Amino acid sequence: MKDSYTLKSLAVLLENNKISSKELTSEYLKNIENGKELNCYNTITQEKALIDAGKSDERRKSQNLRSKYDGIPIGIKDLFCTKGVTTTASSKILSNFVPNYESTVTQNCDDAGLISLGKLNCDEFAMGSTNKTSFFGSVKNPWKSVNSDNELVPGGSSGGSAAAVSSDLCVASLGTDTGGSIRQPASFTGTVGLKPSYGRVSRWGIVAFASSLDQAGPITKTVEDAAIFLDIISGHDEKDSTSSVNPKENYYENLNSDIKGMKIGIPKEFRSDKLPASTQKSWDECANLLKTNGAEIVDISLPHTMSALPAYYIIAPAEASSNLARYDGVRYGLRVKGNDLIDMYEKTRSEGFGDEVKRRILIGTYVLSSGYYDAYYIKAQKIRSLIKSDYVEAFKKVDAILTPSTPSTAFEIANEPSDPVQNYLNDIFTVPVNLAGLPGISIPFANDENNLPIGLQLITNSFEEQKLLNVARNIEETINYSETPEKWWLK
Amino acid sequence: MEFDKKSLLKLGKLARISISDDKLNSLSKDLNSILEFVDQLKEIKTNQVDPTSNSLNQKLEVRDDKVITKNNAEDILENAPEKEMDFFVVPKVIE
Repeated sequence: MKDSYTLKSLAVLLENNKISSKELTSEYLKNIENGKELNCYNTITQEKALIDAGKSDERRKSQNLRSKYDGIPIGIKDLFCTKGVTTTASSKILSNFVPNYESTVTQNCDDAGLISLGKLNCDEFAMGSTNKTSFFGSVKNPWKSVNSDNELVPGGSSGGSAAAVSSDLCVASLGTDTGGSIRQPASFTGTVGLKPSYGRVSRWGIVAFASSLDQAGPITKTVEDAAIFLDIISGHDEKDSTSSVNPKENYYENLNSDIKGMKIGIPKEFRSDKLPASTQKSWDECANLLKTNGAEIVDISLPHTMSALPAYYIIAPAEASSNLARYDGVRYGLRVKGNDLIDMYEKTRSEGFGDEVKRRILIGTYVLSSGYYDAYYIKAQKIRSLIKSDYVEAFKKVDAILTPSTPSTAFEIANEPSDPVQNYLNDIFTVPVNLAGLPGISIPFANDENNLPIGLQLITNSFEEQKLLNVARNIEETINYSETPEKWWLK
Repeated sequence: MEFDKKSLLKLGKLARISISDDKLNSLSKDLNSILEFVDQLKEIKTNQVDPTSNSLNQKLEVRDDKVITKNNAEDILENAPEKEMDFFVVPKVIE
């Protein structure tokens, strides 16, 4: 994607007055209009974006910039509360919700002068990995197989965020990742998706799904842009008691792709006969490349990997059932009239939530209910400890871990399995990272035989985002992945 | 089958989600499939393991007790489906 815009290249164009923020914003708004078929945006804030861009141009004239990136337009997952702009979580129950406050992360973007183009489609309440659960309909993957004209899923839940970056409907976007919701769609769309360590980025003002796992992060075209965006959004926030007091680093400034002497772990539990040959090949090639570039490749074991997904499907629904109890038709969102208070609650929630959200609330309610709490919820939390200690042990031996991001490349929207558990398997390589609270990044490595992007995942220890980005940058520099999707929606 | 019609309706009551008759079959199939999937954890011994509820090893900070003027009644009521004076209105609960 070297020819298209990046945060880095746009900062230079703006600085040299080659383009104004208003021109740039208009260009992206036009792309969005022409790319409506992709269904990336739930809300387009055209008027506001142009006003904000005009203000940015004024600041540039008066040399009063908020940051180097002042005036660059981005997209925001429709899970971040934005003052005065509808925030739906892609759910019917919040389809009329207009927050009167701004999430910390989007405030940080505004403080850096970034311009919001609008709110990006996602799975309902971030529950899904294909974007199909959105009340506003599926997002379409900009990529298509060379062998078929059928539409592909963009991944999820940050499917709109990933598809929009991949199709140039914004230069970079915000997503959230509870079990892979940034990395999996990034992998399916040939973009870079970074999930920071739990606590690195404030969760305040983000519609909560599973509070002990949720983390916001960027989807970008390059690793450099991921570092730039993380600099903008990360840091301690007194409004989020789980945001880390560890000082943030200057990730972009300190980006250093020298990996000589580093040890990169290949976990044997991630190997599988079911992995497509092309994904296995990319994984092997990447390990060889890192070796050539001076790293040592080490075989490691993460023995509880296969228990991560079932543990996640207890913990995440349990937290979701608790978090989503607030949607009761009383204080905000949809209300469906009932015969009495209880009837109103039940009808509102039945009509307001989609099927996947209901399934997860019901499972969560079940595993937290009397008689099952210890057998399921506490059990899953104990498994979580085992998974975490797997990684603690691994990081005594290695600096970073390399795995595939997903067990397949993007598949057809029509071929999505009807069994929910089959769908959950999409996140098998990404979920352990959330349970252990670690940072992970998915970067595009190559395209498969159908010309669909293959993503690889790097994982480092908690709060070692710098190291994570450094290794990712090393790969990026070496392979120079520059594939872009054919813009079929313009025809 | 762990989730039959009766247990599903009870769960719906607990979660305050009404479940219509035509959804019962597919929902019980889905939930049983999920339950079967997570039940594989029973094979793993965890007697000596402490649970982890949160991966961040950080003490919860105590904040200063300051008066702030944000989030006042007007703001809070702004999105209410039904309101009267400074109150949310709900269907009558006391006869």
